[in-house]
Amino acid sequence: MAGQTFSEAPPTARPSEKLNFFEHMARWMNWPRFITLLLILFFLTGILFPFYWMVSSSFKTYAEIGAREPVYIPSALRLDAYRELFDPASPSYWNFGRNIVNSLKVSIPTSLIAVVLSILGAYAVARLKFRGKNLLLNSILMVYLFPGVLLIIPLFAMISQVGARLGFEVQDNLPVLISTYLAQTLPVALYMLANYFRTIPSEIEQAGLIDGCSRLGVIWRITLPLSVPAIVSVIIYTFMIAWNEFLYAFIFLNSRTLFTMPIQINTIFNDPSPRPHVVMAASTIMTLPVVFLFLSLEKFLRQGLSAGGVKG
Amino acid sequence: MLKTEAKPIPRRRKWNTLQAREAQLAWLLILPTALIVFGLVIFPAIFNIWISFHKVGLNNLNDVFSAPYNGLDNYRSVFNDFSFKFQGMQSWGAAVTSIVYSVTGTILTIIVGLIAALLLNQPFRARGVVRAIFLIPYVAPIVSVAFVWRWILDPRPSGVVNDILMGLGVIELPKAYLATRGLALLLVILFEAWRYFPFAMLMILARLQAVDDTLYEAAEVDGANLWQKFRFITLPELRYVLGAIFLLRLMWTFNKFDDIFLLTGGGFGTKVLPVLTYEFSFRLFDFGRGAATAMILLVLLAVFMAVYIKVVMQNIESE
Repeated sequence: MAGQTFSEAPPTARPSEKLNFFEHMARWMNWPRFITLLLILFFLTGILFPFYWMVSSSFKTYAEIGAREPVYIPSALRLDAYRELFDPASPSYWNFGRNIVNSLKVSIPTSLIAVVLSILGAYAVARLKFRGKNLLLNSILMVYLFPGVLLIIPLFAMISQVGARLGFEVQDNLPVLISTYLAQTLPVALYMLANYFRTIPSEIEQAGLIDGCSRLGVIWRITLPLSVPAIVSVIIYTFMIAWNEFLYAFIFLNSRTLFTMPIQINTIFNDPSPRPHVVMAASTIMTLPVVFLFLSLEKFLRQGLSAGGVKG
Repeated sequence: MLKTEAKPIPRRRKWNTLQAREAQLAWLLILPTALIVFGLVIFPAIFNIWISFHKVGLNNLNDVFSAPYNGLDNYRSVFNDFSFKFQGMQSWGAAVTSIVYSVTGTILTIIVGLIAALLLNQPFRARGVVRAIFLIPYVAPIVSVAFVWRWILDPRPSGVVNDILMGLGVIELPKAYLATRGLALLLVILFEAWRYFPFAMLMILARLQAVDDTLYEAAEVDGANLWQKFRFITLPELRYVLGAIFLLRLMWTFNKFDDIFLLTGGGFGTKVLPVLTYEFSFRLFDFGRGAATAMILLVLLAVFMAVYIKVVMQNIESE
């Protein structure tokens, strides 16, 4: 819709005339503006309420959670739920700290390895000529086509064959999980970085080559410093994908000591005695860091999102 | 001394070797990525075809190559399974449910995304903040948002939706929203739109900002109203991007497992093909049948996409 219609200032009052807030509103308001405002408020409520509900429920007591009517505003910030997650003295102690560590142990290596490998690969795709490039690229992008549930059975069978020969287990093995995450994140990372590298004028690199830099030297000294925003985005995306991932972790992890956060939250949710406040507390811990990380760097990350940064 | 002794290299060959070296370097750089993707995605996908023709269970999963060949038995048992095939309006079966879920979910996602993009395309104060907030559902972890919605839709009277609807007098007794046939599927589709509209919004917004303003100015001179400007300028300009979003989202929605598994567990008429695949494989431990279901899913998706690209996208081009 034409943005300009709303941007034009309505006929303003003489500057000397004093208007109160409501008079201002009345002059400014027209039907399209009113509907726009209403819709924005509707969207904001629909988006923010679930998150408000998550955070506020995490501060409720078991009594408030089990009350006949929902408690919209908790009477106080009670830490009962968090105590259940972290306090070994609590009767139902979940040792959630361990799950946070496990999630970090999976997400950080995934994002670091993915960014290094995809910088190299993306440079080759964006700058170097070689035979079979398009075929290779297309088959890498095929990853988008295959559902996770299709891959998980053959992966399981395959890795257990390899593992039996090399002496490692498929299940309860974090490096195995990390390598499956790499396979899921590398294509996205490669695609995003290659697109970015193409926007850097190649003359700058050629100048470096003429001055005697090797190709790797050019990548390190010229391309990387110019691509910091894209590299940060890729690190955050791959981190988020690994941090949020559910299905592979659900299948590949059996031992409670190795559960990542999503699997532990699912376990708490399916506990015979329902404890929504604990689920909400754990969800809050898992959600807030990624949301804040994203919001603080939103300017850089927005483009990556529409490039399919988060497959899902 | 050295300079004079160095043999002059023919120009053509030098150029060739440089090019060859560059290609070698390129392969070296992309090799790790290619190996991981081929080893852990492309090869397993092909291997899955093999598994779907063999009888693979828990007993021989570790030694899969000795699994007995059983031809089309896996496929036959999937097609005859009551949770797969369509048996009238009461029980759609996973194939039909999958199609309904992903097509309506995708369309709804695009409509909501379009509205959001049109809202954000207008200049207003705090637009940047509002846009950032609009993106939150898409980046928040699926486990948390699924469980928050389950908690909001809680079947007890203390569930938020129950409380509000009973307070307004819309319903008298609390409802188990996610455990009611029909309603559950509708809610899963609404959840899809709630969570994934930001993707559509961003892509549409990028396109909207590239639309030439003079088109609107000309329309205004001609006395077009808001709706006419939308219908005859905005929508035609968005055609390509809407087609592309539809294709991408449809593919991802069709393959989606987490959302439905976490929201309803695949019960109450929401069993889609990915969930059925999971159940065959990890509840019944019939991996051959699971693999066959996944193959059916993939073929359905491929056929649908081929038809879509052929019919719809070409229509857009010929118009």
